[in-house]
Amino acid sequence: MGLKVSKPFRGRPVLFTGALLWLMMSAPAQAEEAQPERAKDLRYGWALYEYHQGNAFEALTQLAVAREQGGIEGHGDHPALVEGGLMLSWGMTREASRLFTQLLREDGEGSTLSPDVRNQAWFYLGKVFYLEGEPTLATENLARVDGDILADANHDLFREWIYLRARLARMSVQSGNKAELATLEGQLEEGDIWSLYLQYNSAVSALDDGDAASAEAALSDLVATVEQTGNSAESDAERRGLLDRARLTLARLLLRDNRFDDALEVLGAMPLDGVFSDQALFDYAVAAAGQGRHERALDALESLSGRELFLPWRQQVPFARAYVLEQMGEPERALPAFEQAANHYETRIGELSGVRNRLSEESLMAQLSFLRDGDGVLTDSYGRLRVEPVDFGLAEVLATEAFQQALSELNELYRMQSFIAERQSRFESFRTMLETREQQRQIRISQTRRALEDQQADQWRQLHQGFRESVSAALSEDDAEFFMTTEQKALRAKLDGVEKTLAGLPDDETTASQRETYRRMRAYFDWWIADDFGVNRWATQRQLRDLDREMERLQAQRLRVEALMAEDTRHLDLAHRIATSERELAALGEEVSEALDSARQILLNQVDRMLSAQQEELKGYLVASRHAQARLADQLFRASTSAGVGDE
Amino acid sequence: MATYLINRCPALLAALFVAFTAPVFAQSDSGTESDGAAVAERVEDLKKKVIRLNRDLFILEEDLLFPANTQVAVFLSVDTGKFLKLDAVKLKVDDEIVASHLYTERQVTALERGGMQRLYVGNLKTGNHQITAFVEGIGPDERPYKQAASLEFEKGTGTAALEIRVEDRSSNYQPSVSIVEWE
Repeated sequence: MGLKVSKPFRGRPVLFTGALLWLMMSAPAQAEEAQPERAKDLRYGWALYEYHQGNAFEALTQLAVAREQGGIEGHGDHPALVEGGLMLSWGMTREASRLFTQLLREDGEGSTLSPDVRNQAWFYLGKVFYLEGEPTLATENLARVDGDILADANHDLFREWIYLRARLARMSVQSGNKAELATLEGQLEEGDIWSLYLQYNSAVSALDDGDAASAEAALSDLVATVEQTGNSAESDAERRGLLDRARLTLARLLLRDNRFDDALEVLGAMPLDGVFSDQALFDYAVAAAGQGRHERALDALESLSGRELFLPWRQQVPFARAYVLEQMGEPERALPAFEQAANHYETRIGELSGVRNRLSEESLMAQLSFLRDGDGVLTDSYGRLRVEPVDFGLAEVLATEAFQQALSELNELYRMQSFIAERQSRFESFRTMLETREQQRQIRISQTRRALEDQQADQWRQLHQGFRESVSAALSEDDAEFFMTTEQKALRAKLDGVEKTLAGLPDDETTASQRETYRRMRAYFDWWIADDFGVNRWATQRQLRDLDREMERLQAQRLRVEALMAEDTRHLDLAHRIATSERELAALGEEVSEALDSARQILLNQVDRMLSAQQEELKGYLVASRHAQARLADQLFRASTSAGVGDE
Repeated sequence: MATYLINRCPALLAALFVAFTAPVFAQSDSGTESDGAAVAERVEDLKKKVIRLNRDLFILEEDLLFPANTQVAVFLSVDTGKFLKLDAVKLKVDDEIVASHLYTERQVTALERGGMQRLYVGNLKTGNHQITAFVEGIGPDERPYKQAASLEFEKGTGTAALEIRVEDRSSNYQPSVSIVEWE
């Protein structure tokens, strides 16, 4: 409770993503490790491509894929910093906090992030904790920020840092942090918008503590400061809005103490075309009535009665108008005014009952107008949906943090549901892919079988075996002839031919020299064979060993091919992964569905509570109007009766 | 008037008082906040699961469609982009157009900030292949600009990754397009 005008901190910090990336990209000169001009890792480059388009989910997925496939190389801690920023932008504040705490080790040791980057990251982490209502953790992290570095790097952030610390110091002011609070407040220039917000919130805190005098003083100072520092670099509209808000709050404080003149003076300074002008006009009527200047009060209320736009706070106007008429001593005008007010309240109560009975997500959404572009519903800088009420009766609840949060969660859940439905539709194609893959595999198997048959591997195996046995027998018998070379075999064939020829010729002198030559040749040949036996045997054995190895390799390959053909572990693995993912997706779908029901119920409950409160308020006015009607009717009746008696 | 009403009508007191002081005194509904916080935590938990599942499905889809031994991925990057405002790109692999893309403003900005687009992923047999990229955009002096780059590469048994680089060449103030192979 307390911070009611804390404009920068009302939603999820989508803004941080840009800021975080900005700080990451913009400080190469100070970085310990020079910033890479281009991505050194394709997956990281891809994640950045999605990130810079605002596709947080796709970018987070790519980072997760990269992590699963071995991580990102060459970028130090920057991918983790980007991931944290993405998580913040996608509403994963708790996870982002965990990541930052892990990443930004207090002393920065081992981190590849520059002191400036770490400094700003501490700032954002502190801010996240502040948003999450964790003042201790927020204080702790904001205290790690080096103010001088931050002031040099980004003065706007520095001012915001002072503001946050001052807010946190005020929260713990009861524990003796007044001195720190004063020091912090002194660091902001007078007229700085952050200083003005601090002043306003100080007033709110004083009111919370029941210290109306301090609140009044703070608000008066604030009004005076804004008036004196009109020319500021800050947005005029923002300052004007804050000024009007402060004046209205101050006027209501004064009205509460029946200080009507002072209240009128404050209200009189408010513009007629401001955001709060109608509420100021009503307060003006209250103050004027308090002063006894009923005509002026009535004028103001008549103006408000003419407004066509429905706003819940304006429901008090019909009653107030009738009330002022009564105070003006005009019961004849006041009576129908009260009657009109009562009828109005009765009708409105009936309408609200109808709305509550018919309240559903569809009827609620029909009352909201979402701004969209080609990529879907637009969000503001804080991740809120850009939505306007079709029925301005919802404006009040729409402006609440809880409703905005619930609406945003509902939207996120619908997006998740849509993602799940889209992914579920892919499983059919996954199975088709797997089937196709299996069919192609079967085709390849039959081709392989044919190729194996063509190889006649069994025949070759038999030949190999026969050859082994022959070699073995020749070895055991020292069969030199078996191991002869091709050349020797050819020579032996020639010698055998000569021997055969000589056998057919007469053994006389005509062939004696030939026979002698043959004997010499045969003797030389036998000697040669005997001499080469060891070499030839070794060569054969080496050939046999080579052949054995090749045959073993062939056999092993055949066995491997056979095993691959018999069982496809890859196929089984893919099939298993598809089945597992499908189950997980179905379970997730159920969880999302349940969460959707809860979110929907929370949203509807909020609206119903608001409608119920409006109804109760209207019932109060209805009862008061009816009482006034009865009272005035009685008064007029008595007056007419006494007039009649007088006439008689 | 308020005092008068307060004295006479307690029901009205609450209503008017709330109206008078709403911006200052409005109380938050702690029940609603705790419900909201619970849902927010649940949604965050679901988001974590969704990311993990999407990661698994992404890898599964790649394993099914583009096995590592045949996979070829082509990325595109833009370095600063001062001399060429990227408009479109067309990609040919072995004389066949396999990808073309028209860029939105947002995509161009994302590329200029260091992002890399995966322009194409497909399958190729091992061996030599040729890849050609045709880049179109607005070049120096706001004139339409076209440039092509080509690369012959050998596809091995592992995943092949190529990058089309659009760079600014300060020597002649012209953009340059090249294709490089990632190890």
